[in-house]
This record gives sequence, structure tokens and C-alpha cells, in this order.
Amino acid sequence: MIDSISAVLYRNFIYSDRYLLWLRGVRASLSIAFFALLLGMAIGLLIAIVRVSHDSMAKPHILLWILNRIIKLYISIIRGIPMTVQLLIWSFVILAASRNQLLIGSLAFGINSGAYVAEVFRGGIVSVDKGQAEAGRSLGLSYPKTMTKIVLPQAIKNSLPAMGNEFINLFKLTSMAGMAAITEITHVGNILRGLTFDQSPLIFVCVFYLIIVLILEFLVGRLEKHLRKSDRPVVARQKRSVWDGFSR
Amino acid sequence: MINVKGLHKNFGYVEVLRGIDEEIAQGERVVIIGPSGSGKSTFLRCLNLLEFPTGGEIWFEGEEIASHNKGKKLNEHRQKMGMVFQHFNLFPHLTVEQNITLAPVTLKKAEKEAARTAARRLLERIGLDAWAEKYPATLSGGQKQRVAIVRALAMEPQVMLFDEPTSALDPEMVGEVLELIRELAAEGMTMVMVTHEMGFAREVGNRVLFMDEGIIVEQGEPEPFFSNPQSPRLQNFLAKVL
Ligand SMILES: Nc1ncnc2c1ncn2[C@@H]1O[C@H](COP(=O)(O)OP(=O)(O)OP(=O)(O)O)[C@@H](O)[C@H]1O
Ligand SMILES: [Mg+2]
Repeated sequence: MIDSISAVLYRNFIYSDRYLLWLRGVRASLSIAFFALLLGMAIGLLIAIVRVSHDSMAKPHILLWILNRIIKLYISIIRGIPMTVQLLIWSFVILAASRNQLLIGSLAFGINSGAYVAEVFRGGIVSVDKGQAEAGRSLGLSYPKTMTKIVLPQAIKNSLPAMGNEFINLFKLTSMAGMAAITEITHVGNILRGLTFDQSPLIFVCVFYLIIVLILEFLVGRLEKHLRKSDRPVVARQKRSVWDGFSR
Repeated sequence: MINVKGLHKNFGYVEVLRGIDEEIAQGERVVIIGPSGSGKSTFLRCLNLLEFPTGGEIWFEGEEIASHNKGKKLNEHRQKMGMVFQHFNLFPHLTVEQNITLAPVTLKKAEKEAARTAARRLLERIGLDAWAEKYPATLSGGQKQRVAIVRALAMEPQVMLFDEPTSALDPEMVGEVLELIRELAAEGMTMVMVTHEMGFAREVGNRVLFMDEGIIVEQGEPEPFFSNPQSPRLQNFLAKVL
């Protein structure tokens, strides 16, 4: 039962060019995660803007109100249905006619991701100091201009590390895409298990995920550090004086 | 120039401004003092409609503005009133120069190049032209506040509102900010300023208002105001802070 390592490697990579299959799987997992992230960020940003605008107004415009309702529905649907089921529906119902794996995967995971990313962006927007928007408004900028020129750039920047983590999550989530016949890493492992008649491909499935996730985590850490450094505020110490009784 | 009539402001059930009548003429330098929570900031913020009054009228250059609670008119009004905040509120993602040019360029008040030239001139004036390309995080508190002041000036406002512009500063930086405000006063800028710097109020203000519990309790020229306060509440307040 104890195969030599070289025999295992041979069966998994060399024999009939199986390394190409692995490459295909890695590429599919990464690119689906990437496009899903882009889609999720676009959806999430739009949702966050609508929700924050809606909540900031005492009496929102009817159109905004309707949009907000639709968004709430979308979020409850996405959160209520397991990702696996969503994937099957995209693959075998909505896009049943399509054989484009990248399209199916990106849409299924991206539309799911949007509901979660929206929350991150919303948090990013409301965590921008209120004084920022006030300064913008006091200069005469409109609400949309204040949003796009002042609040959103800061909110997005603060959310970037979270987007890196979302990419890692998505990358791992794609491991279920095999159920929709998408040739991602796990699916490649399953195909090879059928061909090698042993479980050794699972080892390599793990290795691929682990190495890629470690690299991604390293990159996210670098990004985080870089962002922290670039806006390290030299905070003016709060003045303590006799006026504190009056000036809070 | 500014005429406030029976101004009221409630936050929910809390009545923060309880009827303010006040007229501010062009070129006046009005200083507002009063205990914490008396409504000084709220009054100032009502003037440029960062807070919407719940009652009363605000007239600015012959136009009633309190009813412009949204849209173009509102933004136009705010362009005419520069505001300086206690915590500077510079935009951390923009350079010092971009902080200054953002509003004029976005609001098409100036072409990009003209706005940059104007910004450089303003920065030269406060001795910070070398910092134009730097980000606010690299400035000291006093420098930040001076940039915030010229950022407001870049819109060429007719009135400047200051809400405790030196309260968040280290003591050694208060002077440079007050000096800039003093210069603006000397140039004839109309200003309304909330401050705890009594010496400065006395020196630069031509009128001092004492607010307490949402009304103006007493007001007058600095000399009689500080040396001969009439109401017990002001006497009490001055006794504590002077
Ligand atoms: N957005 C708000 N919502 C609810 N209450 C508010 C709001 N803004 C101010 N207040 C309340 O209104 C009152 C007056 O506040 P304001 O900031 O005008 O006082 P102030 O005179 O400027 O005080 P300070 O010297 O501490 O700055 C306070 O009791 C404050 O808690
Ligand atoms: Mg205040």
C-alpha cells in the first residue's frame, strides 16, 4: 500500500499531462473568485450608497424607498438560501443554456458576495467621521458630490483589506463549483481520484488551496500595513484646560 | 447682512435654541461665548443650515434662507458662508492643495489651473506653500487649522463662521491660528466666532453675545460687556472663566 512518493507524483501530474488539468483548476478557481469579487464590489457599493442615503434622509424620495425595498429583498434571499443551492440554480436553471463556466461561476458567487460586501462598504461609509461630510456640505458641495469626492474614497480605502479577505473567502467558496460541473481545483481532484483509484489527489487539492491562501493572506497583510502607514494621523493632543468644564 | 428672527431649534423633544433674535451687519466681528451645551454651535450651524431651524427666520442679504432646506439654493447659500470647525475636518485622502481646490473646482467656481494658483497664493499667505503636495496627516494641529481656514476662504465667502477654532489645539499653536483670524478681521471680513479665548474675544470682537440655555442672555461691546456685566448669569459665568 505504501507507494513511493515519485509514483504518486507521477500519477497526479506527469501521466498523460495531468498537471495541465491542475493548472486549469487553479486558473478557474482564481478567475472565478476574481470576477466574483469585482461583481460583488460593484453590487455592494451601489447597495451601500443607496442604504446610507436612504437612512440619512428623514423622508426619502419614493425611488430611493423602492430601491431600498428591493435591496432588502435581495439581501434576505441571498442570506436565506445556501450558496450551494444558489449555484445549482444559476447553473441548471437560470443559465442552463450556457456552457461558459467562468460566467456561471462569477455570477453565482459575485451576486452572493454583493450582499455581504454591501455590509462592509456600509460600515466603511458610516465610520467616516461625520465632520468630513459636514466640511464638504459647508463648502457648498451637494450631497452626491460630498459622497463621491469625500466620503466614498475614504470608505473604500478603509474597506480594501476586507475586500482582500473577501477574495480569499470567495476563492475557497469556489471549491463547491464542481457541483455545477465547473473545473475548479476540488473538481480536478475528484476527476483524478476517479483515474488514480486512490485518494492521493486530495493531498494536492489541500496543498494548492493552502499555498494560494497563504500567499493571498500575506498580500492582504502587506496592503493593510501600507494603508495604515499612508494615513497614520499625527493626532493633535487634546488640549486640557480650565475650559474643559465648558467645552466638553 | 444676516438677520435672525425668533430662531428655534429642537432635537426631538429637546429645545436647544429657544428664540434667538439677532442682526449681524457687514464687517461685524461677533463673538459668542457661553457654557457648554448652551446652543452656541447649534446657532452657528443654523446660520449655514448645517442644522435646519425648526422655527423662525434667517435672512441673508434680503433673502429668507431657513426655508431653503434643500437643493441648489441651499448649496449656494453655504458657498457664501465659510465654516471652520473645532477639529479642522481636513480631507485626509487629499493633499493640502487638493483640500483647497476641491470645492472651487467641483462647483465650477474656477478652472483647475486658476484654482491651483489661488490655492498656492493662499498657502503662501499662511507660510505653508511648501506643504501643498503633502497630506494633512503630516501637518501639526495649528497648520491644519490654518489650512482649513484658507480652504474656506478659497470659496470667497462673504461671512466666516468659526466654531471654537482653537479648542483642539496645543497651547503653543493657538497663537498662529488666532493671528490668521486677526488678519481676516483687519481686512474687514464679516465673522461670527464661538470661542473660549476671552482675551481674543475682547481684542478682535466688536460685539460679544452671551448664550445660555438656548437664548442670548446679554450682549454688548467688549469693553462694557466684560468689565460691567449686567445679568447674574453672565457675572457668574465670567467669574468662573476669567
Ligand atoms: N444632533 C444632535 N442631536 C441631539 N442633540 C443635539 C445635537 N446636537 C446638539 N445637541 C444638543 O444640543 C445642546 C446644545 O449643543 P451645542 O453643541 O449647540 O452646545 P454648545 O454651546 O456649542 O456647547 P459646547 O461649548 O460644548 O460646544 C446640547 O445639549 C447637545 O447635547
Ligand atoms: Mg459647540
